[in-house]
Amino acid sequence: MKYSQQLVCGALCLLLLNAATAQQNQPSIQQLLREPFLDDYYSNVVYGYEIVTDTQTHASRYVGNSLNCSNCHLQAGTQPDALPLNVAGMYPKWRAKNGKRNGIGLRIRECFLYSMDGIMPPEDAPEVLAISAYVTYLSQGQVMGAEPEGRGVPTLPDTGYDPNPANGRAVYMSQCASCHGQQGEGVADMPPVWGMNSYNKGAGMNNIREAAGFIWANMPLGQGKSLTHQQALDVSAYLNLQIRPADPGRSKFLKLLEYLIN
Amino acid sequence: MRSWRTELFAGLVGAILVIPQGITFAYIAGLQPEYGLYCAIFVTLFCSLLGSSSMMSGPNTAVAILIGAAILPLAGRGSPLYVDFVFLLCMMVGVVQLVFWLVRGARIFQYLSPAAISGISAGAGFLIIMASLDSILDLSTFKTTFFFEKLFVIFSDAKDLVNPFSLAIAVTTIVAGYVGRRFSPRYFIIIAVTAGYLCGLLVAFIWPQPVTELEYLGRMPLQWLPFNVPTINMEYLMIASTLIPYAVAIAFIGLAQSLVIVRELKMETDQDINLDKEVYAQGVANFLAPFFSGFAGAGSFNRTKANQSLGATTPLSGMAAAGFVLILITFLGPVLTYMPMAAMAGTLFIVGADMIKLRDIKHYAQVRSELFIYLATFTSIMFFDLAAGVVVAVFLSVSVFMLRISQLDLKVETSAAGTVIKVKGALFYASVAHLTEKFHQYMDEDLTVDLQFTTHIDQSAVDFFIRESKGMTNRGKHLTLLVNESQQAFLENLGISKDIRQISL
Ligand code: HEC
Ligand code: HEC
Repeated sequence: MKYSQQLVCGALCLLLLNAATAQQNQPSIQQLLREPFLDDYYSNVVYGYEIVTDTQTHASRYVGNSLNCSNCHLQAGTQPDALPLNVAGMYPKWRAKNGKRNGIGLRIRECFLYSMDGIMPPEDAPEVLAISAYVTYLSQGQVMGAEPEGRGVPTLPDTGYDPNPANGRAVYMSQCASCHGQQGEGVADMPPVWGMNSYNKGAGMNNIREAAGFIWANMPLGQGKSLTHQQALDVSAYLNLQIRPADPGRSKFLKLLEYLIN
Repeated sequence: MRSWRTELFAGLVGAILVIPQGITFAYIAGLQPEYGLYCAIFVTLFCSLLGSSSMMSGPNTAVAILIGAAILPLAGRGSPLYVDFVFLLCMMVGVVQLVFWLVRGARIFQYLSPAAISGISAGAGFLIIMASLDSILDLSTFKTTFFFEKLFVIFSDAKDLVNPFSLAIAVTTIVAGYVGRRFSPRYFIIIAVTAGYLCGLLVAFIWPQPVTELEYLGRMPLQWLPFNVPTINMEYLMIASTLIPYAVAIAFIGLAQSLVIVRELKMETDQDINLDKEVYAQGVANFLAPFFSGFAGAGSFNRTKANQSLGATTPLSGMAAAGFVLILITFLGPVLTYMPMAAMAGTLFIVGADMIKLRDIKHYAQVRSELFIYLATFTSIMFFDLAAGVVVAVFLSVSVFMLRISQLDLKVETSAAGTVIKVKGALFYASVAHLTEKFHQYMDEDLTVDLQFTTHIDQSAVDFFIRESKGMTNRGKHLTLLVNESQQAFLENLGISKDIRQISL
């Protein structure tokens, strides 16, 4: 009797240990994609991954421009200093009056509204839940409440000069236009950086400092940190001046017209 | 000549009605709206192509609820795996329904009494209203067992749960619908949707979406031919075996509703309707739906009603509706992007409310058994679900039917020649008892039983005559049967003895 109890206990402990280790070495996305059959959680993770990398086909319902999440959240949200998505531990924000509204779900929905110039999906839309699952998956191993390394974009130090759009234009034409086009429309498969197919005026990327950090760390693609801080600020200010969809929080009438015309 | 125009117009209204339903039912089934629209297009199309009536098929509340209940435990809402499982389930539903067609199962629905049919349709209306509340008040999905539980939660926590913007838009829609009906009974749904849409625009003009938290329809890039090959592999087949009970339940519920609708159509119009053909159409449509990215559907009470009120009488209206959905979504896409879900839910509410008719209750109140069937069916749908309601309806209808046919109409005429008992009705094991009473009452007289108006005689009745006649002979009395020719042959076959005198007329 006693023996069998001990045995059961031992077996249970082993199982738990196993489960714990399995939790830590979770399968990579590539592995998951090859799997013919996934459980509920992992199928959502994969769906979330697909939405982030190809928002245009997998969540087109809520998208108003031609970007994908991974255009800004580089490498499907895994690259530090390029708005990585391993941030589940940072949500919900503590000052939240009700955790639901300020959770990761709201952040995701806001990116749909501003960065993707679309409409906010409902809180419990399958797309939002799947992206949340993907964010949770990426955050595996992070400490709750602690900023992950390389969160967001680097904050550029004060250069002492105001950002100068005219200089920015020169930088853009020499460094960026080959990929993003003379009119910011995006050459071939490159994403547009302004115009009606880009992020709108309410987006985080429309903030000069935020964009400058992103550009300095990651652009031109493959040669991140090759620009000086001042160049990054200048080009960011130049982008900021260009035409793009209106902020849905401000000029609503314009917004409606845009929707009806598009 | 005007008739095809009527059909086309009915199809257009059907398409306008089905769009909100397809979207909300897809939501209930845990799927993205496109799937609901594909269901609205292809299931409607196939059912009308293969069927024989003006019934409008397509996305259906009960079917959607059951699909969600079956698949939610297996995969995350709307994830690709989830969609695969839904497709698998829908193909199974189609197969079950085709089996039903092979065994000519439509017959069992013949027994549903009209009161039960009205009860089921009212119950379905109630379910639609409850489903529409989610979007009207902008509730996030929460699980409750009974409707009053849900209402209680909503009332007690209204301040936190209810979205006033959403409610305002929905109320505008509903009021516009009822006012609009006064002026134009044909176009009132269009009036309602337009009013809701404009109200939504006004709200969006004043407050941005992060403040209102309103839910919009969004872009809907429909493909004209969304071909899709459902995945089937070993793991899926294992899952499929666990889904069988759900497949059977959905198949049954879908058919029950469709056949109820078809029978109602048959009662109220003079369409030449073949129930078996409708079963076949439903089965094929549901089996094929996954190949066109749709989920299973069934006949729709509310859309068939609207269709009927617009004067459509052929399957053409259904085919037209399918086409119009595609056209409307393709060309109105940009406008529909900003359609508030609350406005859609408002039209759904009207549609549901239309299905619960006070007139029906008054109509059936004349006959107590009918009223009972109506109310029992309706309440069991309210408290349990559509499946329970259909079972109750079938059970009660069959019971009432049995009770009624086991009633014999007996007339006794006494003359010098003896006593004549005239038997009207079916004489079988359940009704013989009545005759026994009469026999005992006239124990010591010569009896003549007039069987000419008896519709059916079975073995136990024959045995009864043989037994009684023996007893009477012992008492020195005689039993005479008045029969017609075919009955005579029949009775001899069943072994009626020579001691009973039969007079053939
Ligand atoms: C135009 C570039 C852009 C696109 C496209 C974009 N985002 Fe973002 N996203 C940002 C920026 C900039 C921030 C951080 C600044 C802020 O908070 O506004 C951010 C922040 C986030 C965060 C919070 C990260 C943190 O550190 O807390 C999440 C989650 C997120 N985005 C999800 C998404 C999803 C999901 C999509 C696709 C539907 C998407 N984003 C598309 C630019 C973008
Ligand atoms: C080699 C081609 C290339 C060059 C040169 C390049 N980019 Fe990019 N850029 C990309 C690609 C590709 C992406 C999307 C990243 C992805 O999907 O992985 C991107 C994304 C961006 C984004 C965020 C997405 C969007 O469309 O808003 C910004 C902003 C941006 N680049 C700015 C710049 C600026 C400023 C420069 C010049 C300093 C620059 N890029 C140079 C290829 C390039």
